[in-house]
Amino acid sequence: MKKLSLLLFIALLLSPVCSASVAATHLEGSFKLGPAIILIIILVLFVLVGILFRAKDTTDFYAAGRGISRVGSGMAIASNWMSAASFLGMAALMYGSGYHGLAYVVGWTGGYVLLLILMAGQIRRYGKYTAADFIGDRYYSQGLRAVGAIIAIFISIAYCVGQFGGIGLMFKWVMGINYSAAVIIGGTVVLTYTLISGMLGVTKNMQIQYIIIIISFIIPLFILTAKFDYFWLLPQIGYGSVVSDVIAGLPVNETKELINSLGHDYAVVPSPEFAMPWDPPTGKTFFQWIAIAFSLMIGTAGLPHVIQRFYVVPKARDARWSVVWGLFFICILYWSAPAYAAFGKVLSAHPEVGTLAKDAIVVYTAQLGNVHPLIVGFLAAGGVSAAFSTVSGLLVAGSSAFAHDLYVRVINPEASPRKQLLYARLGTVLMAIIVTLIALQNFALIGQLVAVAFSLAGCTIFPLFLLGIWWSGSNKQGAIAGLITGGLVSLIAITYFIAGKSGVELPAHSFISYWLEAWYFAWIGAPLAILANIIVSKLSGPTPLEIRKFLIEQVHS
Amino acid sequence: MESKPDDYHISFFRPTTDSARRNRNMVVQLILVWAIAIFGFQILLKILEKPTPEEAWIIYDSVRDDIESGSTDPLVLKQASRSALSILGKVSIDPVHRDALDNLISWSAYNIADSAQKKTLVEKLQKFERLKTAEVDLRSFNYKSSKDDMLPLLQEIYGLAPHDVRSRIASVHINSGLMQNMSRKNISIVHEAMDLYLVHNRSVLTDIKFLGFPFHYFYTAVFLLILFVGLCWVYCVRTDMFNKKYEIAD
Repeated sequence: MKKLSLLLFIALLLSPVCSASVAATHLEGSFKLGPAIILIIILVLFVLVGILFRAKDTTDFYAAGRGISRVGSGMAIASNWMSAASFLGMAALMYGSGYHGLAYVVGWTGGYVLLLILMAGQIRRYGKYTAADFIGDRYYSQGLRAVGAIIAIFISIAYCVGQFGGIGLMFKWVMGINYSAAVIIGGTVVLTYTLISGMLGVTKNMQIQYIIIIISFIIPLFILTAKFDYFWLLPQIGYGSVVSDVIAGLPVNETKELINSLGHDYAVVPSPEFAMPWDPPTGKTFFQWIAIAFSLMIGTAGLPHVIQRFYVVPKARDARWSVVWGLFFICILYWSAPAYAAFGKVLSAHPEVGTLAKDAIVVYTAQLGNVHPLIVGFLAAGGVSAAFSTVSGLLVAGSSAFAHDLYVRVINPEASPRKQLLYARLGTVLMAIIVTLIALQNFALIGQLVAVAFSLAGCTIFPLFLLGIWWSGSNKQGAIAGLITGGLVSLIAITYFIAGKSGVELPAHSFISYWLEAWYFAWIGAPLAILANIIVSKLSGPTPLEIRKFLIEQVHS
Repeated sequence: MESKPDDYHISFFRPTTDSARRNRNMVVQLILVWAIAIFGFQILLKILEKPTPEEAWIIYDSVRDDIESGSTDPLVLKQASRSALSILGKVSIDPVHRDALDNLISWSAYNIADSAQKKTLVEKLQKFERLKTAEVDLRSFNYKSSKDDMLPLLQEIYGLAPHDVRSRIASVHINSGLMQNMSRKNISIVHEAMDLYLVHNRSVLTDIKFLGFPFHYFYTAVFLLILFVGLCWVYCVRTDMFNKKYEIAD
């Protein structure tokens, strides 16, 4: 951290030179030197940390040698979790859809309660490296192991697409290059350092990334609350008055000149739609709020890269406490994100501000609030950092599924550790290429793209873990039935989503799109998958004795 | 465990040992608190909600029939325009609604203004519109002064106080090309926009203030997250205690 502080100090010394070139008369546009320097410093720092703590063997690559402390692991959980969807996407959803966006805040935090209470300690006790490992062993099937690995890869890809979108937006803003070039450059950098470091480097990086993410996110909020006369000592509470001001309307202040960076008054007409529940102009309903929160919560407990974090702590007790720390660290950001949406609503209220890219509203809000350009640059770098930390974890989870679960456990059990590592790296490269190609299509908001991965995990992996841990009667046939059911619901929802985006009208399109929208199809998919698993397990033979014995002696004793 | 080797069985709902029973009870308690806190509150919010119009809607509704019949009474048009500006100041509006509302405020201004005001307004507006198409920098002196130059006149026409932000919105939305006519279709769209944007789901939970927040917003955005961390903490402490009591090794 000393190194980081020194580099930031040097960057701040350069500020008078840099700020002139980035005077914010327009929100988008040219190359921004100060923010670019900060971004480059941070990226170089990540690669250096990756090299210093690089993986030496497969145990290091997959599970960081199981030598990470509880608080450290909590920070890594938080960093791994706080993606571009949290950093950029959440404020975007609240800015665009008001109270509806809070379903994402609740969904992405409430899921950790389920994860801890139902799974964390037991997963660690089970002692496997990956989600597919657990599925293959618990359901004594190589086929299910392979399917689990393939699902893990799909989930990682879906999750990564949103992150690459966030990286693209931030690189575009900082460097003044187009979105496509920004996605390709950002993707190449994150791929490089994941390949160099593996999970050990990634875990160390994640701890540093957490600190950068949280500092960069909170500093502009202190400035904004102080500048516009709100309670600035705790901006996470101080912004409450901003929300009330947005609802009641804010007249032009005639005694004190409060303006945004474009010279417009800090004023807004009454806009209750920003905070009132499922407000008609947002086009969102009560059902959608509940379905999104529920899907995100069970998806949290089924995401391979989240589950995999519990393998890197020494004991089950550490796995449990690391969730508490992780959730607390996550909440610091989640308590803050709505503040950007509220300030953004007032600062961008004047029609001349125009239509802003919602996913970049965090950065635009700081910029419109006349926050110093270098601090805005640091904020953008924090956004990139958030996306990087998650992408690296996802790439490791995806490549683990490819090399460990598919190649070694199914295709070539005799593979040497060297060959295994080679395949892990090959898998990482392949995934990065696929993700880049999809991210270039710019399908939806970051938060929504990430929510697809959650619903997919909620429909497929969550039921297998839940029943696999808590009911020894769940057997291979039940697991297959559950997977087919969850997979079918996922397939229908995603097919209708892609068809809709491609302009193709399928039968009952509006009905399916509403009840099984891509962001929340797990609300029905997961319960159906659990039900199918239970019914088929009851109708078929018992689970083998050695599995039941293992569950009792290792997982629940 | 107390089971025989050939009777190994785990079921969350049918625990076979004392420690498993205690664990199940704790998990059920925590999940109940979790579920009621999240979904129970949202259901309560839904039950209590009532469609509540903004003041701008009430004002518009009092002149809705006059607008429908094509009235050009300045008082009616002032009230309708102020309500329209209350929508145009919102950040997210459908372009179809925006165009119809632009039409209403432009047409109204033309009909409210007397002949001298009409002439001045059109001159100033056309000058600003020429600048708007040519000028790129929104902070340039020319652009700002031309825009600000219209403000007193617009405030007078619409009957707005100087600190009312709606006059700033009017200066950007008023359009000299939309002043002559207001079509029947646009009148219908304006009615629709008023009902859509100016009526909200409110209740006692949304109107009470807590720490500056509307209570429901504080509950969902702040309190629930504190509760989640608290539930996790309680689970870990109690699990540690159970494990110690029952000598369960990690």
